Amino acid sequence: MNIIDILLPTVVFTICSLLTVPILRLIRRTKIDPQKFMVIWILITFSVAGLALFRIAMEYFGQSQSFIQIYSIDTILAPLSTSFLVDTVSVYMVIAYIVVGTITCLYSVFHLSSKESLSERYYALLLMVTGTVIAATFSGDLLTLFIFWEATAAGACFLLAYKKSRESLEAALKYLIMVIIASGFTIFGLSLIYGLTGSLNFWTVKEALLTTGNPQLLLVAFAFIIAGYAIETAIVPFHMWMPDAYTAAPDSASAFLSAIVDQGSYYVLLRVLLFILSPTAVVDWRFTVAILSALTMTVGNLFALAQQNIKRMVSYVCIADIGYNLIAITSITSIGLTGNLFFFFVAAMETALAFMVIGVFKKMGLETLEDMSGLGRKMPLTSFAFVCAALSFSGVPLFAGFIAKYMVFTSVLQSSVAWLAIIGVLNSVLQSAYLLRVIHYFYAKTPNNDQNLKEPKKLLVPIYSLVFIIIILGLYPDLVLNLLSSISLF
Amino acid sequence: MQTLLIALMLPALAIPIVYGVGKKSAKIGAIILAILSLVSLSLILTLIPTVLNEGQYIESYYWIPTLGSAFTLFVDGISLSLAIVTLILVAACTIYSINYMDEKKSLPEYYALMSLLTIGLVGVFITSNLLLFYFCWELMLVPTYFIIGGWGYKDSFKTAFKFFIFTHAGAIFVLLGIGAIYMLTGTLDIFQAQAILATKDPAILIWVLISFVAGFAVKMAIVPLHMWLPDAHGEAPAPMSALLSGVIIGAGGYAVLRIALGTVYTAMMPTGNEFLLVLSFFGVLSAFYGSLLALAETDIKRIIAYSSISHMGYVLFALSLFPFTEGITGGVLHLVNHAASKGLLFLTAGAVMHQTGVRNIKEMGGLASKMPLTAIASAIAAFSIGGIPPFACFISEFHIFVGAVTSAGADPSYYLPTVLMLIATVFSLAYVLRYFWKVFLEAPKTQRDDIKDPHIYMIVAMIALAALVVILGIYPGIFIDLIHAVTSI
Repeated sequence: MNIIDILLPTVVFTICSLLTVPILRLIRRTKIDPQKFMVIWILITFSVAGLALFRIAMEYFGQSQSFIQIYSIDTILAPLSTSFLVDTVSVYMVIAYIVVGTITCLYSVFHLSSKESLSERYYALLLMVTGTVIAATFSGDLLTLFIFWEATAAGACFLLAYKKSRESLEAALKYLIMVIIASGFTIFGLSLIYGLTGSLNFWTVKEALLTTGNPQLLLVAFAFIIAGYAIETAIVPFHMWMPDAYTAAPDSASAFLSAIVDQGSYYVLLRVLLFILSPTAVVDWRFTVAILSALTMTVGNLFALAQQNIKRMVSYVCIADIGYNLIAITSITSIGLTGNLFFFFVAAMETALAFMVIGVFKKMGLETLEDMSGLGRKMPLTSFAFVCAALSFSGVPLFAGFIAKYMVFTSVLQSSVAWLAIIGVLNSVLQSAYLLRVIHYFYAKTPNNDQNLKEPKKLLVPIYSLVFIIIILGLYPDLVLNLLSSISLF
Repeated sequence: MQTLLIALMLPALAIPIVYGVGKKSAKIGAIILAILSLVSLSLILTLIPTVLNEGQYIESYYWIPTLGSAFTLFVDGISLSLAIVTLILVAACTIYSINYMDEKKSLPEYYALMSLLTIGLVGVFITSNLLLFYFCWELMLVPTYFIIGGWGYKDSFKTAFKFFIFTHAGAIFVLLGIGAIYMLTGTLDIFQAQAILATKDPAILIWVLISFVAGFAVKMAIVPLHMWLPDAHGEAPAPMSALLSGVIIGAGGYAVLRIALGTVYTAMMPTGNEFLLVLSFFGVLSAFYGSLLALAETDIKRIIAYSSISHMGYVLFALSLFPFTEGITGGVLHLVNHAASKGLLFLTAGAVMHQTGVRNIKEMGGLASKMPLTAIASAIAAFSIGGIPPFACFISEFHIFVGAVTSAGADPSYYLPTVLMLIATVFSLAYVLRYFWKVFLEAPKTQRDDIKDPHIYMIVAMIALAALVVILGIYPGIFIDLIHAVTSI
């Protein structure tokens, strides 16, 4: 495997993204329906990238090494060069991006009006962001990770500002400021590490941590890096940007961002915490992360409880989900890691599903809980999809969310912070409380007006494909867990 | 033979059929569901000889090896008895619904949810895999939420919400316990886990035990975790109340016996019985609380609901006699008998409400002459609940007290709870008699001539259950034999 193989999915996405704008403009002059064209275009892009990924996966699973490292310069200078890393975790994450990405992108095509001239930029950005997230996930040193990650954040920022309304510009600005602060922290940490070890490669840095007699300065550097990424992951108390951003963004963008960029940011955190800082002999960060995790869950859920705007509520659910992810990180066990990765995938689908359904509602002008009254009878299929998302969020069996939560709670029972499991459990109850409130509005209240609502047939296709995957994974999670069977902590 | 798998999957098969057929005719959908559950029942009945001879019967299928989980279906005498009564009750409630729900809307959804619920109700009893158990445990919850909410009485979704939150909170603690067992033993099969748990530190196991008992006690509605029950049972449609009170809370009792006591407590090999005494204390408390409130209540369904709290107190008290077999036999038999009797009582109460349109017992009276069949069925159910021979619950209460006295002979600390429990039975009898007097016998305050027995399907369901209650009272042998065939819990 060489560097071209690794970058191939990203290259495919980038090329297709760049071609989207001119081709779509041409298509508009002909009689071809731009929407149909975009569906095909997105399917082609994702399947070509999927094939490229398939090659990487086959090559990786076909050999016995637990990871493959690829350098751009294969000489003595290798530790200094750009490097990429293929292991179970990164392959798995990229598969997750591609699966959820296909569905959310298709949803975007149906949701936005493809006749609008702006929409082509939007589609181009979606593809571009997917490509950069994949590259960030495959990266093998801190600098490559940083570069691709910032590219993702920049793309996300444009997606947030797409509507150009006052709120969305404000939210995008807020996000941009947070990202800039975060990257300031991160780059400062990176410079310290580079100065101390002469490399940013994951392995070199890890070895330096273990062998250096006095790793204090390195730890300071890592404190900066983690603080930087914590801001982008929206861990409480750095979470303020997220609800604003997701509420103001176009609905399809919220679905896409929560599915891809959110999960990408957890992955970055996971990589840094578990793979570089994993020997707890150097520094025991478990307690700190446990506290952050408890805070994030509780704050996310409490704020969600108070929301009247349903989109804002789901944004807070995203924050609560970060808390659950941190629980599993805290355990530093392979079952914790497996559970965590499974949770990534499931949470991505759940939040995407919730945002997608909300997108349908918002098209009809329904935003607050009050507006949801009686929707269970007016739009039975759409609201049932939300019920599935809600039940999966609250960890009810049949849905994949249950298996994810079960694995997360199980893993933490083994660690020294078992109290976190109790907090997680109580939070889970809180979560089901506010999600049931939505269901209550759906079915128990009488509709506010006699407005006749029609269910959008096309939008239901991506929505129900997610519902289907969530239920299949809830009944038979081995489909995904088998991919993770060779996982190891190193 | 995949007997158990087929028996469990028939209700799953029923979901699309019942829903599809129900769109055309809800009545035929309901009959299909009832027939399928009777087919399931007869499949399960074929296992009786195996269980009597060999003690248990196991089927295992491939499921999620990554999580140490196989799709293990298992019956022994205890779970078989409970599965049998569950399926009978499901069939009766479905048939009953045909007339009872005739004025309601969205019936296809109702019967589809009933089918889904049936998987959970049966599955809870016939698995030895904790993850599958939890699946079914929560499958009892979700359809119930929607049935109570969608087809219940006033403020139904609020009540359903309360029910969901309470029992889901309990269930999550159960999940925590299951996770702990997996962490400690690496397996989710209760029998394998039990052996491995025996080598673990009891100081950890006590927390697992508490987590389980707390979680199950919510479902069982043991005081002080009972707050959801009166509302949920009171506001649910009558067939749902019957299943709730008959099977769902009984499943809590079964789980305490099978998982909390049978798996974790046994593995701890305790020297004293403090924990069991605490359980018996809560049992006595629930028995008194439930029966006193039932005596004071005037709402026809809430009386029966409080009576359920009281009877779960009996069951918990019986389970606290662990591991003395006679008490446990009584406890399990009481779960079976209570399911049949209380199910019937709720169905008759539903019939009264359906025909008269009132639910305050002070506004009733004299119904015995107007609804003779309902009155007979109700009398059988009520007398059974009150512990009057020769009806079902008398037999099981008798076994419980024989067990209790035996235990008290071995360990004097059981004297006090046993005596208190005996006093509680007096109150049970009192509220039952009051109930029956007020509803059916007392001279009515206002004369109404338009009241008559309900339609045929409701009558059929009630008479069938009434026959079961009488048979269980006169000839309890088969279930006692089944329960005695269990060698180890």
